[in-house]
Amino acid sequence: MRFSALLRKELRECLPWMLLAAIAFLALGGFFLRAKAYYEGDRLYSRLSPGTIVDHYQLTFYPTLNFTGPWFFCLSIGLGLVLGIRQFWIPHFTRTWPFLLHRSISRKSILAAKLSAALIACVISMGSVWVGLYWYANRPEVFPIPQTVRVFIEGWIFIMLGLVVYLGTALSGLSTANWYTTKIFGLVFATFIIVTTLSQWTLVGIFAVIAVSVAVLLVQIFDTFLRREY
Amino acid sequence: MNEIVLETKGLTKYYGSTLAVDHMDLQIPRGCICGFVGRNGAGKTTAIKLMLGLLNPTAGSSRLLGCDSSALTPAIRQRIGYVTEGHRLFRWMSIGGLETFQRAFFPKQWDDKFFADMIEYFELSKKQKIKHLSNGQRAQVSLALALAPNPELLIMDDPTLGLDAAIRRQFLEGMIELIMRQGRTVLFSSHILGDVERVSDRIVVIDKGVLRANCSLEQFQKAIKKAILSFADSVPDQVNIDGLLQCKRSEKGLELTLVGTDDEKISEWAKSAGAENYNIVQMNLEDQFIEFTAPANHKRLFQWEER
Repeated sequence: MRFSALLRKELRECLPWMLLAAIAFLALGGFFLRAKAYYEGDRLYSRLSPGTIVDHYQLTFYPTLNFTGPWFFCLSIGLGLVLGIRQFWIPHFTRTWPFLLHRSISRKSILAAKLSAALIACVISMGSVWVGLYWYANRPEVFPIPQTVRVFIEGWIFIMLGLVVYLGTALSGLSTANWYTTKIFGLVFATFIIVTTLSQWTLVGIFAVIAVSVAVLLVQIFDTFLRREY
Repeated sequence: MNEIVLETKGLTKYYGSTLAVDHMDLQIPRGCICGFVGRNGAGKTTAIKLMLGLLNPTAGSSRLLGCDSSALTPAIRQRIGYVTEGHRLFRWMSIGGLETFQRAFFPKQWDDKFFADMIEYFELSKKQKIKHLSNGQRAQVSLALALAPNPELLIMDDPTLGLDAAIRRQFLEGMIELIMRQGRTVLFSSHILGDVERVSDRIVVIDKGVLRANCSLEQFQKAIKKAILSFADSVPDQVNIDGLLQCKRSEKGLELTLVGTDDEKISEWAKSAGAENYNIVQMNLEDQFIEFTAPANHKRLFQWEER
């Protein structure tokens, strides 16, 4: 009951940003997919035989959904950044930490509610739209070539990178150090992880980098949240 | 002896090299209404946050309801109400939403009727958003939220700051409502001595982080007094009397502010110093506090005062 009250409160605070990110992703992703479907369906593939369509696809090695990649990546990172600021920087400026923390629930649970809300926000807003776009792009009447599973997984990697940025922002927000010293560590670390992830060649490497970075950030966040002064 | 609900031992807090709270030894018995007074920057908020475990002490410790402040369990926190400085609430919530949120943490204690009565008394509506409330209205909501779970110990950090006289009175009446419930303890910090005088039965004075007084209000008021002495000839150069706080000189008189000096001693000293006559003047709490916490080498702000 107490945890669910906290979770509801955190989700409500995330809601505007969840909706904004989902609408932006849906609009941009949908627009570019429609545009590509129109181009490839009507202008390109209609002139090619089924065999050459596959050749064309393999030759260009250009999965259709990758077209939404840059937008998806930017929105995921942006959502992570905004959620981190909303949950860990704003309470500092509005001085609501004491009101939130003095209640009959452990600090661990308060933090867990925040992290759970952010995870739910990212998965629902970006994940659901991504699943929807993938389903749309896989319809034969839209694109003749089915999307690969790898493309679908890469989308979830963008969502996970958004979460890494969220955790990095949270860590920076919780730090009481000066911004030019260790306070910036969380954001710098998140940026480093993004660069490292994008330079990986295998999915296993990508998941390993993300798993290690999430573990490091979570340990740091829990430690800082439980020890710091408010 | 009364049970101690709040206790600090050598509580010290440094911010970098700045000393905010200096070896504070404080005991607050159950059932009292304690005014926690001090000038701006005296360390009141820091002390309260240390007591609630929101800050970590540099040295010393504090205990609330028998539990160490650095490890207050959810069960103990459930018994402590806290009104934060500036009444910082979640701005996007409505009063009703805030009630629902707060009630979840006091499932058995929350008094719906009391909260509704207080909101009605303050002429507020549960549909109103916090962001649309004035500072005074937020204070009222804050008090209602803190009182509705009927806490054993209520700690308020400058709850009447920035409120006008009418709202302050309403606020204090709300506090008196809690006080009338048996065995409840209140600690509230304030700059407004009139408020402390009106509702407190105990006073704690903190000055530059140092605990200067912790006694009943009556004791405090009796202890600090002013003696006005007039001299036929010259005023003595040396004033050697126990408990001297301030000494103001005029051409043919002395104005002494004394603490803990009984009337007989003042009389004896006046005779020995050759005073023509003397009067002991009762001071109001505000004057007592100002004299009590004024620095010895007090400088005047404006030069024209000295002309």
